[in-house]
Amino acid sequence: MSWWKENVASRIRHYPGSMEVEKYVYTPGVHGLEQAKALKEGKILGSKCGDTIYVPPLTLCPDHKPGELVEVKGPWRVVTYTVITETMDGRKLEKPEVIAVVKPDDAEGGLIHRVESDQVYIGMEVEPVFKPEAERKGTIDDILYFKPK
Amino acid sequence: MSRRVAIIGVGWYGFKPSIPDLSFREMMFEASMRAAEAAGVDLRKDVDAFVSSQEDYWEGIAISDEFAPEPIGGVLRPTFTVAGDGLQGLAQAYMLIKTGYFDVVLVESHAKPSDILSLDKIYELALDPVNIRPLSPSNPLFTAGLDAVAYMSRTGLEREDLAFIAVKNRVQGLRNPRASYAAKISLEEVLEAEAYIYPMTRYEVAGFTDAAITVILASEDVARRFTDNPVWVSGVGWSTETGTGALAWHEWGRMKSMRMAADMAYRTAGVKPSQIDLAEVEDRFSFMEPLTLEEARLAPEGGAAKMAREGVFSPDGSLPVNPSGGSLAMGVALEATGLARLLEAYLQLVGAAGPHQVEATRALVASWRGPPTYTSMAVVLESEDAL
Repeated sequence: MSWWKENVASRIRHYPGSMEVEKYVYTPGVHGLEQAKALKEGKILGSKCGDTIYVPPLTLCPDHKPGELVEVKGPWRVVTYTVITETMDGRKLEKPEVIAVVKPDDAEGGLIHRVESDQVYIGMEVEPVFKPEAERKGTIDDILYFKPK
Repeated sequence: MSRRVAIIGVGWYGFKPSIPDLSFREMMFEASMRAAEAAGVDLRKDVDAFVSSQEDYWEGIAISDEFAPEPIGGVLRPTFTVAGDGLQGLAQAYMLIKTGYFDVVLVESHAKPSDILSLDKIYELALDPVNIRPLSPSNPLFTAGLDAVAYMSRTGLEREDLAFIAVKNRVQGLRNPRASYAAKISLEEVLEAEAYIYPMTRYEVAGFTDAAITVILASEDVARRFTDNPVWVSGVGWSTETGTGALAWHEWGRMKSMRMAADMAYRTAGVKPSQIDLAEVEDRFSFMEPLTLEEARLAPEGGAAKMAREGVFSPDGSLPVNPSGGSLAMGVALEATGLARLLEAYLQLVGAAGPHQVEATRALVASWRGPPTYTSMAVVLESEDAL
């Protein structure tokens, strides 16, 4: 600390550094493992809490009890969407990215995923397009995108 | 609960997109020294506890709470950090004083985003690692677009309703020396600008700013020893929804946590929304200002944008909203953003806002840590004239 302030740009120095963050494993947990298995089989799960199904599955239901995992089948619809055209630091994307919340009619919540359409609208019916089975890893990007049905 | 809590002094430093010469610790010191001077307190003798709101990733230091005490006067004193917005820190300080064990409590928060060379990557790390991060969206702020589109759909707003908020706040900021992102822009310029995160253009998304803010609070009897012009923290409220890890809880286009936080603040203050005559609220994305006003019951559902265009929320309107220019004109000061709103409301209530002074006695201050999180904070401030 000092009462003096440096006002000449060429005399201001920085110490470059980095916070190592990219090496981390995320434990999926019992719940997450079931979701991963389902994705590899081309299925999408929700959690059933009483009469309501939540997608993606809530770890805990609103009454703070674990729900029952069930497969959801759709039909899926766009709940809301956005289109990204630029990164935060101002790089223009070659192709705008359409990202949407998509939800099966019989469930609450919704997945965030890409939608392959330049005509996206709220209420649009869509369906998941999975990677070929051999390429699936049990992660959310086993679904390539949702496409208009 | 009878013990009232007052703000006896506020200090700030920065509010520039980049402060290259001072470290974040020196900025904390600058703000705290100024707050101490404003309040007439000796930081090493008169303050009973210290609260700093900060997060390790923003600092670039793990366990960064160890760096909090020294610059604010809190070494070897009761000091703790709150990993959240400065208004969450303020709520902790409010409660400390309410216990009766603490008379004077200092709250500090700061931001030095100009030191963060990969801010977008840190936002990316806030996304759920299982359900969202593998999709690698090119802009981690995209959830704001999802909320904005859902809000427009529910209320029937048009793009120009949101664009108007950016014009209002960036132009209002021209009268505020802390508003580095203020600009004389027109509705046409905003509407014709290239898309950024649909439905918003760059004008409707706030930039980032380096700033430090320190607020000194005191119990009523002690406050009278230090100042003739206290501002009362009459109520506080906060609520956390979820981050992107449990999005099924979220209703797109709404801010349920804001409704809860504001209701809690009104209830603790014993104040009705209709008694509020100034609002400094979250607007880091254009849609957030009208949505916050509606969730905080200062405007009817879907009615805030129209009221804005009618001038109700202008500096000479009946309920000035962000006469400071808000985050759109001042920039997002990371965890200090809520205290930036509080600073502006405080200066208004003591009549020290300068060129952007408005007539007000009772303010709602509200901030939202988002996206991609959904935590809201609200504070009701009252001047001596309000009581």
